[in-house]
Amino acid sequence: MSTTNVIGKSITRPDAYDKVTGGKKYPVNYTLPGMLHMKILRSPYPHAKILSIDTSEAEKLKGVRAVLTPDEVPKKYFTPVYFVPYNAPSMVQDFILLSDTVRWAGQPVVAVAASSEDIAEQALELIDVEYEELPTVFDPEEAMKDGAPQLHEASPNNIAKNPSFEFGDMEAGFEDADHIFEGVYETQRAHTCYMEPRVCVADSDTDGRITIHSSMQHTFGLREKLAVALDIPESMVNVVKPTYIGGGFGGKLDIGFIEGLAALLSLKTGKPVRAEHSRGEDFISTTRNPIKVYLKTGVKKDGTYTARQIKSILDCGAHATHGSEVIMVHGLYGTFFPWKCPNQIWEGFTVYTNNMIGGGYRGYGAPQGCFAVESQNDEICETLDLDPIEFRLKNTHREGDPHPVLEGHKLASYKIEECLRQGAERIGFDKRQAAGSAEGVKKKGIGFAVHPLWVSGCVGFPDIYEHSGATVKLNRDGTADVISACVDLGSGQISMLTAVVAEELSLSADKVRIVYADTDTAPFDAPTHASRATYSAGLATKAAAVETKKRLFKAAAAVMEANADDLVLEDGKVMVKGVPESAVPMTDIIARAESPFIQVGEQGPAPTTIAEKGTIIGTASQAPPSNPSPVGAQFIEVEVDTDTGEIEVLRVVYSADVGQVIHPNSAEGQVEGGFQQGMGYALMENLQFDQETGACLSADFLDYKIPTAMEMPSNIESIFIDSHEPTGPYGGKSMSEMCLIVPAAAIANAVYNAIGVRITELPITPEKVLKALGKL
Amino acid sequence: MKQIIELDINDEVHELAVEPYDSLLRTLRDKAGMQGTKKGCDSGGCGCCTVLVDGKAVYSCMTMVMSVEDKKITTVEGLPSEGELDPIQQAFIDAGAVQCGYCTCGIMMATKQLLTDNPKPTEEEIRKGISGNLCRCTGYQKIVEAIQLAAASY
Ligand code: FES
Ligand code: FES
Repeated sequence: MSTTNVIGKSITRPDAYDKVTGGKKYPVNYTLPGMLHMKILRSPYPHAKILSIDTSEAEKLKGVRAVLTPDEVPKKYFTPVYFVPYNAPSMVQDFILLSDTVRWAGQPVVAVAASSEDIAEQALELIDVEYEELPTVFDPEEAMKDGAPQLHEASPNNIAKNPSFEFGDMEAGFEDADHIFEGVYETQRAHTCYMEPRVCVADSDTDGRITIHSSMQHTFGLREKLAVALDIPESMVNVVKPTYIGGGFGGKLDIGFIEGLAALLSLKTGKPVRAEHSRGEDFISTTRNPIKVYLKTGVKKDGTYTARQIKSILDCGAHATHGSEVIMVHGLYGTFFPWKCPNQIWEGFTVYTNNMIGGGYRGYGAPQGCFAVESQNDEICETLDLDPIEFRLKNTHREGDPHPVLEGHKLASYKIEECLRQGAERIGFDKRQAAGSAEGVKKKGIGFAVHPLWVSGCVGFPDIYEHSGATVKLNRDGTADVISACVDLGSGQISMLTAVVAEELSLSADKVRIVYADTDTAPFDAPTHASRATYSAGLATKAAAVETKKRLFKAAAAVMEANADDLVLEDGKVMVKGVPESAVPMTDIIARAESPFIQVGEQGPAPTTIAEKGTIIGTASQAPPSNPSPVGAQFIEVEVDTDTGEIEVLRVVYSADVGQVIHPNSAEGQVEGGFQQGMGYALMENLQFDQETGACLSADFLDYKIPTAMEMPSNIESIFIDSHEPTGPYGGKSMSEMCLIVPAAAIANAVYNAIGVRITELPITPEKVLKALGKL
Repeated sequence: MKQIIELDINDEVHELAVEPYDSLLRTLRDKAGMQGTKKGCDSGGCGCCTVLVDGKAVYSCMTMVMSVEDKKITTVEGLPSEGELDPIQQAFIDAGAVQCGYCTCGIMMATKQLLTDNPKPTEEEIRKGISGNLCRCTGYQKIVEAIQLAAASY
């Protein structure tokens, strides 16, 4: 390791200064002269045919520049999800920008561009739409029945997808069991609640080329899906990478509606068009899919699994979008493969209803799975009086085992035992009381959950993009510019890329800049999602820096009359290995490489060598070599007020194997922020809808509560187990989603320990607690 | 109908043409070109838009611009003095309290009032002081630490 050694130190986040002084570079701040403002008229009905649309009055309004109706939109059905090809066979192509059938209350019907937001808003009121209402269905299990209202012709019984996997002999497995446990575990709709709204500015050139700025998690995904939605070649779209965005968490992982509609309106008017979601629009545009899990597990007396049968029903709402992938990830990584069980069957259903569409959300199907499996694991241990830590260890994989999903890969770094033991020790797990035995009105309880398998990206998944790329360029002043399409969602990708390049090129972090990038100029990068940025974008950027270093050594070899293979870079100097006297500052080499061929010095003109000339630059584009699993375990202490049903989280310990920690401060930040979202998911967050009209009842922060600083526990303790992932950048792997996969299950188990009654439906509200206690 | 008003923002007088129904938030962002104040919900639910009006933290999205015509408005752009960051800003950097940063300006403004009124707050008082501001990234832990750090230099 070089002497700079920034990896594992918390460099000052390069984006922090700008953000504390006003944060100029959010997409929400982007404007262009003469730009128009777009507003969307949305359907008030959850299911209806549009019979006619009259926009004549709206068009007469002063300031209205263009109106866009369904018949002006290319009739292209596609998958709006960024990380797969638009026509990926594993997904469902049922999405279109504007349709003449509406399937959820809030679906866009008409878009208007006007000279101001107020005028666009007023124009919406002048549009007359005639609807013919159609029968509705909001419950996915109802929707699967014969005779239920059908949402999409191509999907009988509203089943958009029905994957399954199986191995072993189920009958023999259950026969072999001493005990069989059965349960149903339900989760709700939760919103990512990124703080910056979805926003974009689309501009068109006279040749029909679109340039777009947007708050999203994937530049190249937006390029592809926008081109498809507009039915133009991909090269006719340029997506400018936002310097950073105000949060995403998976909620900005598909094209949605505004980008396509704004681009069409820009083409129509020749003007830039800006669109920004209201918070209410954000709330009905993306959500974690609710999943109902039917779980049956057979175990031996000693707790060894013999068989497991899982059925998962996912409500994807009006369009499949992410729901067709969430169900797969939920099945593979949320329920089926994390645990070792010799006989298993899983079947998943992604079901259309007249509810809002779903989206991506940090953890992507795993929090729902973890809640089910870890709740039941807790039940098993309680009933059979088993040590819950030993029980987990008996049924999970171990370091060095073959990767349960990826053939030919190993769980090379996998410190699950340390995670469990160190977490348990920190919280004082051995002193916890028997479930429900606490005295008094306010009862304390301790619980935990572990999730034994997750991803560092998508290698091994069908149809999912994974490669990353970067270009690294050295400047004469000794700084490095990094061109990368990897978007920083707030979770620290700028810091991570900076640290990787600084480390590789022996620079201090303040000498590295992540610079302008767009899809015209940067190499492809898959989205910032699936906990992949550090592992995949980090490795590709490191590879680019290695190329840059090679180029530096090539020039240095010429200047220093040495062999490039003998050179090393230390402390900003190039030297022949083991010969410190040979050291030349790298800035001198860069200056020589970029200088005129014939340099005029005091002695007159002197030619330099051809071999040293040229910009010191390196590019790499590559898929990551593997998909190492992080492990996370969370231990929680709660206090339940049995009079009011209120739950307070008192203590949180999170212990994880994330490989080498690249930036400890950011890593803790991920754990703490992940817990806020997980605690909200466990205890309060729930997007609710009127079951007759389909209208969202919680489309603002007054009705959709997320934890404030008051509800959060005072101290969330992070333990990062000493670990090194051999395939990762500097030994690192992923971490961010895991922090949100385990909290709900851990809290549910702690609540059980406190009150002795199990609640199997999230969120665990005071009402549910009181009901469970027989007080309501 | 637009009206011309004078607003004292960060000790500078701005002449602005506003609609009488414009919020202070919209006026700051769209008319005065001061984009440090953020819109997270436009309905009093998130605190991203927090500014000080006569030293008191308010949601600028819920404040009509006409109601603050003769008041002193402070935004994040007004926090640094003499080219130096306010200790609150520095502390947010040093504690690693900034992730996506979208909530940060609003929370720093709430902190400004908190520390002006109560320079040595307890953790409980800090949490209460920023309870009108949502953050979705940090879990507030490093924000609380930043405010403690800032308080140490107040
Ligand atoms: S924007 Fe004002 S409180 Fe959310
Ligand atoms: S840092 Fe992202 S919302 Fe607070």
